Amino acid sequence: MQKTLIICVGNRFFSEDDTGPRVYDHLLGLSDRPEDIGVIDGGLAGLALLPLLEGRQRVVFVDRLEGLAPPGEPVILTGDRVAAMAEGYGHNAGIPFLLAMLPKVCSSPWPECLVVGMSGDADEPMIDQLARFSIEVARNGSNGF
Amino acid sequence: MSKRLECAIPLNRVEGDLELKVAVENGRVVDSWSSGTMFRGFERIMVGRGALDGLVITPRICGICSMTHLTAAVNALDCIAGIVPPANAIRLRNVALMVETIQSDIRQSLLMYLVDFANPIFADHAWYEQAVARYQAMQGSRCIGAIKETKRLLEIVALIGGQWPHTSFMVPGGVVYAPPINDLQKSLQLLKGFKRWYEQTVLGCSLARWQAITSVAELDEWLNEQETHRSSDVGFLLSAGRAIGLDRLGIGHAHFLSYGAFNIPEGSLVVGSTGQLVASGFAVGQEVGSFDQRHIAEQVAYSWYADQTPGGLHPMEGVTTPVASGAEGNKYSWVKAPRYAGQAAETGPLAERVVARDPLFLDLLQCDQGASSLTRQLARLIRATHLFAAAEQWLNEMIAHQAMPYYLPVPPLLNGEGVGLTQAARGALGHWVKIREGRITHYQIITPTAWNGSPRDEQGVRGAWEQALIGTPLADPDDPVLAGMVVRSFDPCLVCSVHVIGGGRRRLMA
Repeated sequence: MQKTLIICVGNRFFSEDDTGPRVYDHLLGLSDRPEDIGVIDGGLAGLALLPLLEGRQRVVFVDRLEGLAPPGEPVILTGDRVAAMAEGYGHNAGIPFLLAMLPKVCSSPWPECLVVGMSGDADEPMIDQLARFSIEVARNGSNGF
Repeated sequence: MSKRLECAIPLNRVEGDLELKVAVENGRVVDSWSSGTMFRGFERIMVGRGALDGLVITPRICGICSMTHLTAAVNALDCIAGIVPPANAIRLRNVALMVETIQSDIRQSLLMYLVDFANPIFADHAWYEQAVARYQAMQGSRCIGAIKETKRLLEIVALIGGQWPHTSFMVPGGVVYAPPINDLQKSLQLLKGFKRWYEQTVLGCSLARWQAITSVAELDEWLNEQETHRSSDVGFLLSAGRAIGLDRLGIGHAHFLSYGAFNIPEGSLVVGSTGQLVASGFAVGQEVGSFDQRHIAEQVAYSWYADQTPGGLHPMEGVTTPVASGAEGNKYSWVKAPRYAGQAAETGPLAERVVARDPLFLDLLQCDQGASSLTRQLARLIRATHLFAAAEQWLNEMIAHQAMPYYLPVPPLLNGEGVGLTQAARGALGHWVKIREGRITHYQIITPTAWNGSPRDEQGVRGAWEQALIGTPLADPDDPVLAGMVVRSFDPCLVCSVHVIGGGRRRLMA
């Protein structure tokens, strides 16, 4: 099992929410993508992603992030910061709820979790930039960012 | 003269895509308007696509009940193909759908409904500290336990269907995969493990003890019988729910609809009526009649769609033409108004119990003078008691007959019309599909929340939870906890009933 994972989340049928799926598609096409980093299309699975996190050392989520930086500029957030955004469970509970619950329900040591993304309608160069950024973060964690 | 107040009330945990407006007089709701605030475009997305595309796309309608959309989609295609899948395929489909239903019921009950008892508004009640310890959002011991146990339970779907949510393992003619005996045995152990937790924690007794209850008097006897019953989630719901009057709130139209679910395959020892484990039917009060999907019509008098023929359209003829210019008069929701034989109806686990003529629930309807929020939620919390035995039996039957087929070849689906019906966790779900020359020319979906959360119809009759809200106390519009509990007892899923987006609303992360 790969110890490091990139999980791209979002809805590929919905253009305002397809940054993650587009990064996923792009990552799969990168010839220089490291083999020791797994890439998953997390879709809208939310809490159902829990089993994928168990046994990993580092997990990087890729999503559209609004209001944290100018459009097109990659952003990195720690898992703790994202978990603090959780408000409770609902049908639309997402990554914040998942990360908030992780330490409470994980049956093995939980991984370092980071969330990367960008705001705005990303063009292809931006998607490429975010994909490569997610690899860097998966390799090195938040060090240096 | 009493003061009439009209206000929008926040119900964030119901669903972000639901807005509720109520009129209040003398501290009680006297009228209500439920609005789905986003347009769902799936019916239009489907047109022009390949005949089988519904198997991949429609499960994406919802991450909570993706299996039921897959089930409805494949049922419609089986119908078009004119094929009955092999017994093992029906068993496997049923088990997967049951697992999704059970996990949804548990998460809704413990994480979305019982959490309201931890609201400080109830701090004067003796059970409040217990409610906080157990059900407080993201902290309560029962909430954490529910996530752990349902996560484990869903491994069954991963074994059967490869992933959850959004699997597409069902295809016309059966399923794509014949699971090896090891996977079936592991599924059986996972199911049994979950059942043990459910008995210990949710029921506080064995399934057999619970199933012996056939009246309200026996329910009270059970509650007083021993501490494990009182301290169970069911016991807590009953005691605390009665203490805050939920047994007198949420009384709806008393029309109940079930499409039926879990077809019983040939040769199975599982017993059910109407050829299914969960029976189909339409009940007015306690009078249960047969169900015929031809009596369904969707009306749009108060929905943001182009006006149609009076009486509405059957979904096989239905259209989805959005109209929202801002000058539509009375229209106030993206949810259409489905009606059965012209009547508004509620659907969900309580409707299933009524249609099954369950004596306990018929007695509860009698005692509560209708379908209360408490009875509705109780039906959801104990629905698993009606599913465990069949799920175990079907897994055992697959283990015993593992070499039998899971798929029958189906020729390409070029032309035809099909109806796919099932019971989702939230109630009756239907897909109506037409295919011409291998392409989808028509796709209509009526979700359970369209039934429960519908706006008014042509006659001005309120939707199910609009009606159920009438009479609900609303002292503080900013903290409408009881109104929320009334609506949440229907387990609304607006992400399912409306879709795509309105301007200015963006999720941060989901």
